[in-house]
Amino acid sequence: MDPAGRLGPAQIDVLAQLSVSTVLLGSIYALVAVGLTLIFGIMRVVNFAHGEFLMLGMYLAFWSFTLWSIDPWFMLLIAIPLFFGVGLLTYVLVMRGVIHASHNVQIFTTVGLSTALQNVALVLWTGDYHVFRPWHSGVIVRLAGTAFNLSQVVAFVISVALTIALFAFMKWTHTGRVMRATAQDGEAATLMGIDTDRVYRLTFAIGIACVGVAGVLVSPLYAAYPQAGLQFVLLAYVVVVLGGLGDMVGAMLGSLIVAAVEVGGSYVFGAAWKEVLYFLLFIGVLVFRPAGLFGQRGAETLGV
Amino acid sequence: MLTLESVTKRFGGLTAVRAVSLEVRAGDLLGIIGPNGAGKTTLFNVIAGYYRPEEGRVRFDGRDVTGLPPHAISRLGLTRTFQIVKPFGNLSVADNVMIGALTRLPRVREARAEAERVIALCGLGPHARARARALPIALRKRLEVARALATRPRLLLLDEVMAGLNPAELGGIVDLVRRVHAAGVTLIVIEHVMAAMMRLAQRIVMLHHGEKIAEGTPSEVSRDRRVIDAYLGDEFNLAEA
Amino acid sequence: MTRLAPDRLAALLLFAAAAATPLVVRDIFILDSVILILLWGSLSAAWNVAGGYAGQVSLGHAAFFGIGAYAAALMSARYAQSPWLGLAVGVLLSIGAGALIGYLSNRLRGPYFALSTIAFAEVLKIVASRWRGFTAGSEGVPVAFRPGFWTLGLGHVAWLYLILVVALLCYGLQVFLERSRVGYQLAGVREDEDAAEALGIATRRRKVQAVVLSAALTSMCGSLWAQYVGFVDPVHVFSIDLSVRFALNSIIGGMGTALGPFLGSVLITSLETYLRATFSGLKAGFSGIYLIIYGVVLILIVRFAPEGLTGIAGRFRAWRMRAHA
Repeated sequence: MDPAGRLGPAQIDVLAQLSVSTVLLGSIYALVAVGLTLIFGIMRVVNFAHGEFLMLGMYLAFWSFTLWSIDPWFMLLIAIPLFFGVGLLTYVLVMRGVIHASHNVQIFTTVGLSTALQNVALVLWTGDYHVFRPWHSGVIVRLAGTAFNLSQVVAFVISVALTIALFAFMKWTHTGRVMRATAQDGEAATLMGIDTDRVYRLTFAIGIACVGVAGVLVSPLYAAYPQAGLQFVLLAYVVVVLGGLGDMVGAMLGSLIVAAVEVGGSYVFGAAWKEVLYFLLFIGVLVFRPAGLFGQRGAETLGV
Repeated sequence: MLTLESVTKRFGGLTAVRAVSLEVRAGDLLGIIGPNGAGKTTLFNVIAGYYRPEEGRVRFDGRDVTGLPPHAISRLGLTRTFQIVKPFGNLSVADNVMIGALTRLPRVREARAEAERVIALCGLGPHARARARALPIALRKRLEVARALATRPRLLLLDEVMAGLNPAELGGIVDLVRRVHAAGVTLIVIEHVMAAMMRLAQRIVMLHHGEKIAEGTPSEVSRDRRVIDAYLGDEFNLAEA
Repeated sequence: MTRLAPDRLAALLLFAAAAATPLVVRDIFILDSVILILLWGSLSAAWNVAGGYAGQVSLGHAAFFGIGAYAAALMSARYAQSPWLGLAVGVLLSIGAGALIGYLSNRLRGPYFALSTIAFAEVLKIVASRWRGFTAGSEGVPVAFRPGFWTLGLGHVAWLYLILVVALLCYGLQVFLERSRVGYQLAGVREDEDAAEALGIATRRRKVQAVVLSAALTSMCGSLWAQYVGFVDPVHVFSIDLSVRFALNSIIGGMGTALGPFLGSVLITSLETYLRATFSGLKAGFSGIYLIIYGVVLILIVRFAPEGLTGIAGRFRAWRMRAHA
């Protein structure tokens, strides 16, 4: 592709394609990041194992399609409660004990979880790439000079719907308010009679449900392998740091920015170097505005 | 020894310390009082280098130390303690104090000897081997003082070293502070426990909403109208001080 | 003659056993295992300098390992120079990289810092994978075996003693840190930075120093590893798995102790070697079981026994002393 820039209708097409690409990709990142940012914002834990649940979602979709011919879109209905349950279980078994522990303990707890989950996948299903193509990944949708496959479009629609639903839940329901209160001040919340353990349980379960569902959604588009979660979760961290840890709207906006950098960078520099771009963006944000574009200054040095 | 020239510290829209000027001479024992939120600890943070003031200067021995990092100021002979004590929890009491001693004494052996001396001085002898985080609050406060003392400061800032102690423990700490002062260390002490303050301090400064509203001997300050108003008489009975 | 503390004694036995191995055993497999145990122990000890002693937990130490590995490999494969020169270059580069990471550690706390180290290693991995012209990309760099000390073409016995020297160096450095002024100051920085500052410790400088030292040691081990194994590829040498492994050994053995990283290495590397050997015929994936175990063990250890095995041993001894009192 000629990055030198062309004038005329051809360029507009490219721009439209890139823009829509950005939005489609951004919606997936948003779903992953929103769960991560909730977990951090409310529980103050950076979940290093987040990507592994996405990977499990991908495998779930793959095996249910391969073994029982269940389309991933149907699998979603099962994935949501399933991953919600997985989140609850993980919280009770692993996270609950370290909520009030030091940063190091939390880091290594989730790193240990990540290691264990990756290798469970490795042992059960080997390191081979697993790919599957349901009917909708071959259907091309054309709109105003852009072309995308149906899987991407539906993934976008569902991601957006879930993200908006989650946002609405957090903003307008009583439970959502309770969760946000706990995010602001966990101790005060306890003093006000809020069962913070219940809040944390719910938060973690929601976060894992989001990322598990995201895994199911992207499974027609990417290969599944034990370390598949890693690339997504690192991206999700970039998004979350960019948007400010704990900030849902920031996560959504951050997703668009990161997606834009990835899509634009891919176009200009070629797919090989795009990863370098967003990592540099990541390090740049960490160094210059660690609290994110929208977050509170100094949050990261207070150990928040 | 220490001069504050119209120091002002702002946090966004909030002015925590407003144009505070102060003069402390070698051998003084200055007390700083004021209601919660008056800016006392912020002032300490500015003096010790943890905050940079928006306006004003801090001079130590005539030298401008405004904006120097805390460790540099400590090496010049000005050490502070923390209101909420910060022991090195996983280390023993002896190690805690020794790390303080290492500021002036580069050799571990000498520092250890100095630490033992300071520990004895502060009455922590029986607990020297104990883990700092296992200590009750009264001993933690002593450790905080001991560790700071080990740096051989010429000026020591004590931040609410008496808070949270029962009357028996209080007597011990007051005695310790007196002995430290008698040994030649200049002291600035932030305190809420008025009775102790009135007995210890030679001069008292009162801060309210970040401003210095009174300064003088304990009896002068306790009779000052503004001081009484600021406390609204319900924190303590000044007549008993 | 002062009595040796138990953990010093254990370390002494460990190194003595390693030194005695070639005298007793001829089996290449066993020699190789001992070499790997010592190497992993050294790498974990290097990590421990920053993570355990200075409290700067990095999950990106593979960055320094990879720099060292590539420096040595490229120096000999590309420029036909001695890999020792590559080792020196790698150390210099890693000191620079370490200074950068050290700077980040002063701006970021806890998880944020860990994240930045992960990103740093990932960037290096991608650059090494794509920079075909220089690093031969993801195909990797094979290192030819040329016999001789200067070319690091050594037999197993020679390698064992060389790595033993490195291990002793790393162990000795840790012991020095435990007893020296710098070490105590680092402990203060680790426990409470604000309090350390108030005591005249230049915390920012100390943290950078610790990270730089850690980086240099890691790089040195990486260079030696490259020559020993004979092949360097970016996905392996910069991988987050390696970074986690360095930390894992130290934590399980006892973070912030001199013996810990080596103890952890003995256990984990032995188990890995055993499982690899046992399952090599069947699905190679089964050897991943040991990593599942380690993941779980890591979770349990940081929660219930954060001081690792040396801590458990210490508590056990203390309990026994009380029981006999």
